[in-house]
Amino acid sequence: MASGFVEFLIRRALGFIAVLLVLSMMIFALARVVPGDPARMAMGPAASAEQVQAMREQMGLDDPIVEQYVRFLRGAVQGDFGISLISGRPVTDEILRLLPATLELVIVTLLLMIVLGVPLGVLAARYRNGWADTLLRIVSMIGVTMPAFLVAILLQLFAAYYLSDWPLLGRIHQDFRSFEGPTGFYIVDGLLMGRLDIVGSALQHLAFPALALALAGIGQIMRLTRSAMIENLRRDHVQTLRSFGVPDRIVTFRYLFKLSSIAPLTIMGLEFASLIGNAFVVEMVFSWGGFASHGLESIMQNDLNAIMAVVMVSGLFFVVANLVIDILIGVIDPRIRLKEGH
Amino acid sequence: MASLGETAISPEILTARRMAWLRFRSNPVALLGAFMVLSVVFCALFAPFIAPYPEDAGNMIDFATRHSAPSAEHWAGTDKVGRDILSRVIFGFQVSLLLVVGVLGLAVPVGAALGLAAGYFGGWTEFLITGFTNVMLAIPPLVMALAVGSVLSQTLVNAMFAIALLWWTWHARLVYRVAKSVAAEDFVEAARLAGASHMHILLREILPNCVAVISVKTTLDAAFVILFGATLSFLGLGVRPPTPDLGSMVADGRQFLPEMWWGVLFPALGIFYATLAFNLLGDGLRDMFDVEV
Repeated sequence: MASGFVEFLIRRALGFIAVLLVLSMMIFALARVVPGDPARMAMGPAASAEQVQAMREQMGLDDPIVEQYVRFLRGAVQGDFGISLISGRPVTDEILRLLPATLELVIVTLLLMIVLGVPLGVLAARYRNGWADTLLRIVSMIGVTMPAFLVAILLQLFAAYYLSDWPLLGRIHQDFRSFEGPTGFYIVDGLLMGRLDIVGSALQHLAFPALALALAGIGQIMRLTRSAMIENLRRDHVQTLRSFGVPDRIVTFRYLFKLSSIAPLTIMGLEFASLIGNAFVVEMVFSWGGFASHGLESIMQNDLNAIMAVVMVSGLFFVVANLVIDILIGVIDPRIRLKEGH
Repeated sequence: MASLGETAISPEILTARRMAWLRFRSNPVALLGAFMVLSVVFCALFAPFIAPYPEDAGNMIDFATRHSAPSAEHWAGTDKVGRDILSRVIFGFQVSLLLVVGVLGLAVPVGAALGLAAGYFGGWTEFLITGFTNVMLAIPPLVMALAVGSVLSQTLVNAMFAIALLWWTWHARLVYRVAKSVAAEDFVEAARLAGASHMHILLREILPNCVAVISVKTTLDAAFVILFGATLSFLGLGVRPPTPDLGSMVADGRQFLPEMWWGVLFPALGIFYATLAFNLLGDGLRDMFDVEV
């Protein structure tokens, strides 16, 4: 790749590091204005004042605030967020254990968004005012008028009435609960170990949560793909191809498709932030037991260290996702890759 | 012929503003949105007089009528302690609109001021403000609101604060884009040469050109704030019971699914109606002003 693109990526990466730094400052500042003493919380109500004071010293709560922040940051960079005030176990262990569940859900959601959103957007552009256009309008409307938790509940209700055997809660059938694979992703582990029954059960459990999470994004991606297709259709080189008699199908999928997938990809980066947020809600509705549910629990219990870790890891997700998208766009669109970074 | 002369609109009268109004008036969807928004506002303002059982908005308990299905007395049924769901949905609009007013009342002026300053002054001001805005845009809003909501005690005012904390970024970005292009126009230069102060140029020359985008974005945002607030209280982090909030009503009703579907369905319809109203109105305003947000 051209050096301009590499430079562009480096600049983006630096920007993302700034994002994480500011995020860490905000969450740290927030954690220090909380009413209530973290040391008291860690020790429980039965502990004596001396014990709590000893804990305060151990946790470094009486040190100057800047020193505390630097310590927090140094730990965070090394993946150490201290111990949970509730369970007493390292926060990071807990998050790593639960991360695959959430990642599996989020990745399937993203795939669903692309697999459904882009082709439907293409169809809506090709057959304007046809059924795909109507579908687009309905899905976009649901996306802006229904919060993810409502979509999730309605899907559950639908399944309860019409698909009586469909699993409504959890990640996998209870017979497979004890199953443990090397990665923690049920689909990947199932495939690796040749256990198709596990893959099937995992997919079945994934379907509704992923759909609930994806719906808002699908509408947006459809709309963007559609308008990009229509705009690109007017371009000279596309018009030339058509006037040479190249079949519509080939024009659409060989030439327009790639060009038109840039806009929806760009939006996916921003979409990712709300996706993480909504994962909290959808995991709760479907008892998913992932990282987001854990975050919610920590928030409910005021487990400060865990909350800070959850927020930082969410921010990291977002940043990495956007970097990946930047690279993807560079791969698809040589104009961005070859041009000086903007 | 005289009557024809009266009905025809002479080109002098057809100002941009009048054209915009004509566009809005001839758009049935926009009018429907405006009507729906007015109805939500009306319900919120006069909830005590409209709601069939106004006392049910609070901590009322009437176990005799608990979990009754929709009927002539309770059009939308009752909840787990016998409160009329329709009444609570009507009062729920009050909470939703208060949240909208609070959040946007904080976020829009702050965002607009920062966007204006960045677009007009340029240089370091621009660099710092756009940089900070971009950083804030990258924070998942729900996660941050959850964290703030968990730290502060759960009241309506704190929920507003938690949401507004990240909301201004979108307005800052939007106003910045418009202000930057307007600041390069000749009339701004002319005002500067005529000796106008920065304040005068910002408020009287540039801001009026941003009003269209701000009002469209604010209307569309109202719907998002309602969704956001409902999501927070659904998770138990927004507004505390017994305040009738649409999100927490859904959370309450969810425990009794699928048999007592009305406990979820009607609050959900309330959310849907309010957000649809602001979306339709916002789309209509967008077509009217012919702007991109």
